[in-house]
Amino acid sequence: MNNSLPGLADRASVVADRFEPLFWYIVAWTALGTLLVCAGMAFCCIKYRRTAASGSTPRILGSHRLELFWTLTPLLIFLTFFVWGAWVYDSAVHPPKDAPEIKVIGKQWMWKAQYPEGQRVIIGGNPGNMTEEERANIGALVLPVDRPVKVTFISEDVIHDFGIPAFRQKIDVLPGRYVSTWYHPTKVGEYHVFCDQYCGTWHSLMVGKIKVVPQDEFDRFLREKADGSLAWEGQQLFRKLQCIDCHSPNAESGTKLHPRAPSLEGLYGRTVPLRGGGTVVADESYIRESILNPRAKVVEGWEPIMPGNYESQVSEDDLIKVIAYIRSLKQGGMIPPNERFPAPDGAPRNTPTPPTTPSGSPGGKP
Amino acid sequence: MSIVIADEPRTAPPPPEPAVPVRNYLNNNYSVWSWLLTTDHKRIGILYLVSLTLFFTVGGIAAGMVRLNLLSPSGAILTEDQYNRMFTAHGVVMLFLFLIPSIPAVMGNFFIPMMIGAKDLAFPKLNLASWYVFMIGAGFAVWAVLAGGIDTGWTLYPPYSSRYSHTNVTPGVFGVFITGFSSIMTGLNIMVTIHKMRCPGMTWGRMPLFCWALYATSFIQLLGTPVVAITLTLLMVERVAGVGIFDPTIGGDPLLFQHLFWFYSHPAVYIMIVPGMGVVSEIITCFSRKNIFGYKAVAWSSVGIAVVGFLVWSHHMFVAGISYYSAILFSFLTMLVAVPSAIKVFNWTATLYRGSITFQAPMLFTLAFLVLFTVGGVTGVFLATLGTDIHLHDTYFVVAHFHFVMVGGMVLAYMAALHFWWPKMTGRMYSDFWSRASATIIFVGFFLTFVPQFVLGYHGMPRRYPNYPQEFQVYNVLSTAGASVLGFGYLLPGVYLTLSLFFGKKASANPWSATGLEWQTPSPPTLHNFDATPVVVCGPYEYAIAVDQMGRGLPEPPGPGSAGDPASHFGPTGPCGPIYKETEVVG
Repeated sequence: MNNSLPGLADRASVVADRFEPLFWYIVAWTALGTLLVCAGMAFCCIKYRRTAASGSTPRILGSHRLELFWTLTPLLIFLTFFVWGAWVYDSAVHPPKDAPEIKVIGKQWMWKAQYPEGQRVIIGGNPGNMTEEERANIGALVLPVDRPVKVTFISEDVIHDFGIPAFRQKIDVLPGRYVSTWYHPTKVGEYHVFCDQYCGTWHSLMVGKIKVVPQDEFDRFLREKADGSLAWEGQQLFRKLQCIDCHSPNAESGTKLHPRAPSLEGLYGRTVPLRGGGTVVADESYIRESILNPRAKVVEGWEPIMPGNYESQVSEDDLIKVIAYIRSLKQGGMIPPNERFPAPDGAPRNTPTPPTTPSGSPGGKP
Repeated sequence: MSIVIADEPRTAPPPPEPAVPVRNYLNNNYSVWSWLLTTDHKRIGILYLVSLTLFFTVGGIAAGMVRLNLLSPSGAILTEDQYNRMFTAHGVVMLFLFLIPSIPAVMGNFFIPMMIGAKDLAFPKLNLASWYVFMIGAGFAVWAVLAGGIDTGWTLYPPYSSRYSHTNVTPGVFGVFITGFSSIMTGLNIMVTIHKMRCPGMTWGRMPLFCWALYATSFIQLLGTPVVAITLTLLMVERVAGVGIFDPTIGGDPLLFQHLFWFYSHPAVYIMIVPGMGVVSEIITCFSRKNIFGYKAVAWSSVGIAVVGFLVWSHHMFVAGISYYSAILFSFLTMLVAVPSAIKVFNWTATLYRGSITFQAPMLFTLAFLVLFTVGGVTGVFLATLGTDIHLHDTYFVVAHFHFVMVGGMVLAYMAALHFWWPKMTGRMYSDFWSRASATIIFVGFFLTFVPQFVLGYHGMPRRYPNYPQEFQVYNVLSTAGASVLGFGYLLPGVYLTLSLFFGKKASANPWSATGLEWQTPSPPTLHNFDATPVVVCGPYEYAIAVDQMGRGLPEPPGPGSAGDPASHFGPTGPCGPIYKETEVVG
């Protein structure tokens, strides 16, 4: 780590490249304005300072024209900032549809990342607040260069903020709600992550590293550290938490087989009719709410009988896995509860099955 | 080619220096109870002055500790917990116990009745009550931050403040909640006084701009403070009773707090700065011997700021999880609120044009205000612009920006007001040399302290970090060095102003040769301000024709070309303005 700051801060993302011209454009205008005011003041203070020879002053009361001029001019200049700034903001907050998605969980005082293929990384934080296993996993948020990545955040406790100065972006990480942004790194390297929203004693240690790597290195990272995809782990939880006892495949309202709860196959992204009117799009926030607070939005045709005690049983990490599983469910893709061995959909390569398979197969799809 | 022609004043020779009265508001009664039970607006102003000086010192010491700790990347003198308590103490004390009451409660109390020719504020007992309420609330708050401390930051964001912090949040919040009532009482008092108690001839268009500024401020205090009171109450309810209001795990919404909090706290920054703008209008005209340029523009821009200031709160929340469209809308509205401030700066600068400028301490503080406030204002535009705010938010750029406005703007305006009105309040002149030296040192120290923080913020150093990466250290050391210069600058007035009380020359009634009614009474003023109700015949800044608001001539102003220093002027020695003077046309 070098000991001095460069004149221009490091830029490593598309947003950073858009931030810089805007920033210096505003610097130029505001510096010009400030210098004009200061020059005017300095001129008057020198030229019109009172001396022994000073006479009385003229009685100048004002000028509507000048007032109009210096009301409209700054307004117009400010509006150019507004328009340009809104454009940069627009490009910074809307992730592209097809970008792969990484989940990041903030808690007092560490950042945890989960890749869809199952890699888990501690991005950083205060080692004093971590378990032995977490300490061993301290690494960096690895991102591929020149490829957009969507990142979805949630906090387990208070409000945090995930800020990356080299990307010129930050986003508040809220408890109880998924928020998303996206990054498009442009330069290989290591960059700071700061928690920018005050979160308690070790706020200043809730820092970590972003590592932007070439695509092949990123692929290697995805292959090497996988231990079962998120969806696969979610499937295990889906059984362990006994979700599957009610949410079985082919369950329809009124059928004798599984009368208690709607099937979740193909649910993700669908518009769901709600009891008492209205609809909701089944996105991650809705699914999360329905697990933690099942009676908030009940699907039309079903009774609100799901127990409401999952909040104490499921951590944010686990919720992300269960949601990833539900999200991966296609019509007919669910394994009924009485089936003994689940199909190895993203199953870990180094668990039950003997290590005959080549370790080359990626963790995501069979 | 338009120009505003004011009322044509009638002129007369300057009034004779009033005989120094035997009794004034200070020496009338020396007993402690005569102070603690006074309903005299002047004495209550002094009570506030003493209390606020104390709180400023507490907040300043906390700031010093914070800056000292930042000398080292891993914290030079404090642990993380101590550091968190220290910056919270600094924020809570400076904002709620110094900046918000500062000019309205000290200068407003003291000078609003005198400037509009009234004997007192409309509700003298309410005024005394406001001081007691303030002191009770301040007692809770100061006790909370000193004994055990609060570690939430002054912004008190839940769920951290409501459910996670193990510190004295409840008494601190309760104290702030109580001081809010004091703020409402002062605002109400000033507003009613301005409406109902102006002396004959003191029309709205002849009112000094300081009164306009405080009128706008009172408007914000009355409408905004109840909102923060209810917000803080909800916070205490959640913290004490566990009712889910802001914490999502018990059914609340954390953004609700931020909306409510900033709905008050953004207008609150205008509670802090608008009175300062009023002070600047008073001083810059007096020390350049000019009419204010664009009286109506300056007056109405205060009101404009007060109104539009209520519509911009969400610009504190661009990255907090508000919707895309509200971010766009609030960015746009924030651009609008920047304009009235710009108008004021241009008008003040234009006021200097063709003036006859002298540089006593009040003027030096005012010029420093103009420079620092301009920098503070334009750097705010970076934070109003969405594309730049998503990086600069919650970095040292924000810290530097609001210190430029709050300290460079407001505190310097407060110092300017203190130096301008000190002779009237105490009847004594302070050291000319040391006061100018202090203004210069504060200005230089301020720049050295906060300009490095802009650089740190641009590079992304977050606020509220006792530990930071090595590469930020150079600028932090620079900033701390500047802060020590600044601190020294602040100590000086404490010394020479105190000394002036005992050794200063006696001040004449109108040492700066100013036009306002407050200068038409002896220094210090008599018990009921005016022996006879004044009658106002012209606008507030007729320096060009050298008449005060009662149409009488002004004494000769101090400075080069005058017979001596301001303290020695007695009697009608000054020049009388011409009966009629051409109003010059500009623009």
